[in-house]
Amino acid sequence: MATFVQYLKKSTTYKIYKTLSQEFVNLTSFLGQIIQIALHMLKCIFKNGIQIKELIVQSERFGISSLPITLSIVGMTSIIVSSQVANEMVKQGGADFIGLLMTILIVREVGSVMSGFALTSMIGSSLASEIATMRVTEQVDAIDVLGVDSVGHLFVPRVLSGIIMMPAVVLIASFIGVILGGITSNAFSGLSYRAYFTSVWRGLYMKDLFISVLKGAVFGGSIALISCTCGYFAKGGAKGVGLATTRAVVWSFISIVIWDMIFAVLFFF
Amino acid sequence: MSIEVRNLVKKFGDKSIIDNISFKVNDGEVLAIVGFSGSGKSTVLKLICGLIPHDEGQILTSSGDIAMVFQYSALFDSLNVFDNISFALHERKDLRKKYSEENIKDIVAKKLDLVGLKGIENKFPSELSGGMQKRVSFARAIVTNPNTILYDEPTAGLDPMSSTLIEDYIVRLKNEINAASIVVTHQMSTILRTADRVIMLYDGKIVFEGTPTDLLKQDTPYTKQFVTASLEGPMQMKA
Repeated sequence: MATFVQYLKKSTTYKIYKTLSQEFVNLTSFLGQIIQIALHMLKCIFKNGIQIKELIVQSERFGISSLPITLSIVGMTSIIVSSQVANEMVKQGGADFIGLLMTILIVREVGSVMSGFALTSMIGSSLASEIATMRVTEQVDAIDVLGVDSVGHLFVPRVLSGIIMMPAVVLIASFIGVILGGITSNAFSGLSYRAYFTSVWRGLYMKDLFISVLKGAVFGGSIALISCTCGYFAKGGAKGVGLATTRAVVWSFISIVIWDMIFAVLFFF
Repeated sequence: MSIEVRNLVKKFGDKSIIDNISFKVNDGEVLAIVGFSGSGKSTVLKLICGLIPHDEGQILTSSGDIAMVFQYSALFDSLNVFDNISFALHERKDLRKKYSEENIKDIVAKKLDLVGLKGIENKFPSELSGGMQKRVSFARAIVTNPNTILYDEPTAGLDPMSSTLIEDYIVRLKNEINAASIVVTHQMSTILRTADRVIMLYDGKIVFEGTPTDLLKQDTPYTKQFVTASLEGPMQMKA
């Protein structure tokens, strides 16, 4: 019997099971940390208010400095999609629907999701590594010892800036995406701008815009909260900072996909 | 009484890192906690200032702030010296209401003067030497006029002259603000120049308590091994 157990413990199936169960424990513990931090943040907001100066600094970081990269990514995705869709639609006699299709696609999905991915890789990783470095160099401990709540000081302005600025980034990126879709359709398929933009109006729903803004706020808050939490609980030295940054990017990506799925089920089913 | 620790216990898992220790530090007194690496010295400081919770025992302090000077200064590298020192005054709700911006400028200038660093308010930590960073972290620690100051290996990594300077500031701060101070160190010069009393930790327990002169007498196997820095003796270094 003992030999069988030993054999089982050496098997690949057992190793996969061990890894998966460990990952499940890590995920549960991480979710616990996120909830704990979110509740603590709310307490800090009600108790100490919001540091407006720091909020402006973080909003500039989240919204303005990330804009060129976000616009490039959403814009290029829009060019890739429209260059392929426009040709096919014209061939099938659906030229009148190209603008409508691109608008629905960009406003509902591409604008928010691609902006989320861009902000995760740019801002999320930077937030995680910044706070993780502060943790491993005892700067976070120093904040607490000085009698300042480190969660309130570090998390509140960063997470709020994500919630406030990301909807604006998503709207600007979606607008640029729709415009570039028209230019590409004109260049690749000879579709007139009048036909494209007339079709755009037919595909532009207020509900979609509202959901896009809401998604932006949820994605922005999630990216900031997850990234800051990963940094805050970092351990060890340089390796710990690297691990925290990787965790932040991975979990932010996963959260964007999960939230997007929830939004799709809630609003478009 | 400024700070009293009674039957303090801290466990990580099943292992007691701090095992039922008790001591007392009065106002205007410096207590040195000594011992080899891994004996639990820094953990005691973190327990006292509340960075980690203790499992058993009591930590009694007089009302007022507890300040801590970290081993590697822990200055906020994105802030200049002025913002580092005034951090608590700007960020704490109770202090924000109490001081105007003019008051804060005066306080920062006075604290910098106290640690011998006039006029460096606009410099960033990366522009300062290790010794200067340590003195700025002293100024930051005392900005709220604490009644207890904890020093975690304040002279670690400094050259002998900078160490002497830091030791002198520990004594000066003790005299000027009459705070109870706890210095975690394993440097003999720091113990002899700053401490009024010494306790030695080994394996989370107090194995010696006395004055620096008692320590130098090497009356016990523990003090003998520590003072002679010998590998032979009751204290075994952990791998």
